Amino acid sequence: MSISLAYILLSIFLFLLGLLGVIIRKNLITMLVSTELMLNSANIVLVSIDHIMKGVEGQVFALFVLTIAAAEVAIGLGLVVALFRLKGYESSSEITHLRG
Amino acid sequence: MESVIVILSPLIAFLIIAFFGRKIGDLASAIICILGGALSFLFSTFISYQVLSSQNPIHIKLYNFLPLQNFTISFGLYFDTLSAITTTVVTFVSTLIFIYSVGYMHNLFGQWTYKFYAYLSLFLFAMLLILLSDNLLGIFFGWEGVGLASYLLIGYFHETKKAANASLEAFTLNRVGDWLFIFGIIYCFYLFGSIDLLDIFKGVNDVNKNLLGVAALLLFGGAVGKSGQLPLHTWLPNAMAGPTPVSALLHAATMVAAGVYLVARVYPVFDNAPESLKVVALVGGITALFAALSATAQTDIKKIIAFSTMSQLGLMYLALGIGDQVGAMFHLTTHAFFKALLFLAAGSVIHAFGHHVHDIFEVGNLKKYMPITYGMFMVGALALAGVFPLSGFWSKDRIIGSVYDVSFGFGVLASVVSLLTAYYIFREAFVMFHGKERHKDKAHESEGVMVVPMVVLAIMAVGSGFFEGWYSGLFGAHKEIHLNIAVMSVVIALVGIGIAYLVYVRGLVEPERAYESLKTLHTTFKEQFFTEKLYHKILANGYMNLSKLLFIIGDKSAIDGFINLSRTVYFRVVKTLWIRLDVMTVDLFVNGVARIAYRSGKVLRNLQTGLLNNYVSFLVLGIVFILGILIKFMR
Repeated sequence: MSISLAYILLSIFLFLLGLLGVIIRKNLITMLVSTELMLNSANIVLVSIDHIMKGVEGQVFALFVLTIAAAEVAIGLGLVVALFRLKGYESSSEITHLRG
Repeated sequence: MESVIVILSPLIAFLIIAFFGRKIGDLASAIICILGGALSFLFSTFISYQVLSSQNPIHIKLYNFLPLQNFTISFGLYFDTLSAITTTVVTFVSTLIFIYSVGYMHNLFGQWTYKFYAYLSLFLFAMLLILLSDNLLGIFFGWEGVGLASYLLIGYFHETKKAANASLEAFTLNRVGDWLFIFGIIYCFYLFGSIDLLDIFKGVNDVNKNLLGVAALLLFGGAVGKSGQLPLHTWLPNAMAGPTPVSALLHAATMVAAGVYLVARVYPVFDNAPESLKVVALVGGITALFAALSATAQTDIKKIIAFSTMSQLGLMYLALGIGDQVGAMFHLTTHAFFKALLFLAAGSVIHAFGHHVHDIFEVGNLKKYMPITYGMFMVGALALAGVFPLSGFWSKDRIIGSVYDVSFGFGVLASVVSLLTAYYIFREAFVMFHGKERHKDKAHESEGVMVVPMVVLAIMAVGSGFFEGWYSGLFGAHKEIHLNIAVMSVVIALVGIGIAYLVYVRGLVEPERAYESLKTLHTTFKEQFFTEKLYHKILANGYMNLSKLLFIIGDKSAIDGFINLSRTVYFRVVKTLWIRLDVMTVDLFVNGVARIAYRSGKVLRNLQTGLLNNYVSFLVLGIVFILGILIKFMR
């Protein structure tokens, strides 16, 4: 089993971990962290595929993703903090206004 | 031209008042009405002078009214001695009554009283149409016009039930007469092939006497209705519900005189069918006695005079029936004067008490307060009673003389009627003007506009009798006065007056005791031998009940039943269709759709938990599903 495949498996594991975190955990910040986890697992895939296929586009793309993820985290964290300060929400189970 | 003005001036007055009366006011309307009558009188005097001096009838064809195939109904005026003199008298008396009505109706000015003058003018116009028309259809036209105008005037105080009923009764009973009259006209056309009076006069000798008699009786039927003779008489006393000038006009000049005039006008028809004249005489005689007896028991101021008119008209018909046409027409003329005078004097009494007093026993000793009216009433009463030398003496005496010439029985009847006449009219005069003061309100003499016409009429009532010889000479039917009969008439009249004097002034008979002992007779007379009850209760009410019965059977059950049934059936059908089509098909579909949507929504809403985590799970499931499809099919 080559090292490349191990990277891919790692990223799958990280992705599923993040997904599980988003689905199971109720804390909004934890969920945000879990999404970051999924994003970064994707980065690992991009870089590792680049390594396998001897290219550079994946690494460049991973850098873009990192940049955008930083911006996205700033906004997401801002939203979560604002939600907490305005409404006092800290768990996703409290935001159920769309229940049918 | 002059002759046209005679008939047109009242019509023009009527049109002006009818269209502009509201603008020009009541007094101006009255003046126009009087002017119409006065002009008509002036020109009719002129025409009479022409006709009488030239001894030739004036016949003017005005225009062709209705051209048929080989016959033309035309409208024309025919002035002969009879129509010219009658026209003059009618317009003269009418004009005086119009003037009087200004005073009488004065307290009603401002309450649309111009209508009253419009009706009066229409009345006079219609009467002139009867008098002057040269054919029977024109006479019929005027006949109906008189009926209409009398209906409007009798019911002038239409707020009161009594007046409305009286006008309706007058109209209905006149309809019966008019119905006979129009059949008479049709029958005349059938007999003579023409309805022109001159053609009829020419043709009377050539037709079957029996058929002519039928035509005469049909025409007489019309006259009976209009003159209030038996058996179409009940409207005449009830017509007293109208204003007094109307009563005077009705009884003196325009309405009831039309019947006598009609018989005199078509007298050649009657003359050539002697059997019909017997009917005329019989009806006239019975009516004269009947009305005189009824008059003795009445207590209404105007009703006594109304019955007197009926009685005097009966005498005129009696005179016509026994062949004294000129006597009848002369009595009509003098009667017009003194009867108008009596009515105007009675109206003066009613006016003095503000139109509230109608019973003779409500007033008394009025001669102290109303000396002029008292004098006028006495002149009229003396003339009516036939005391020498007033006009009533000459005309009535002539009639009684002629009647004795023909039949002793009728002569005695006429004498009895004269006795009763003198009694009842002086009963009224003595009760009203002598005796105790029974009225509470203050009486006052009437104003000048009412007194002057009365004085003029009084002069005529006194003086017109002296023209008897001249009048008879015009018709070439001169008649010597029998001295015995003249003396007898005067004695009879004085006896009648004496009885009334003894009973009502001297109080010879205790009124209550007399009333108790003669109660049955009194009631019989007062109720007009129960004919009015018979007509009102049995005929009119019977007809009403029959109508109600037919209404219930025919309308309520048959027609309404059918309509209600079809309505029910229609509703049933529509309801069934509604249930079948609308409720069970369309609504079911619509409601089904709604219910499916509701039910499915209720189930599916459970998927929308609102929890972020669940949404993410669904998102993942969706992605897996879509990716699965992509991998499976896009390979």
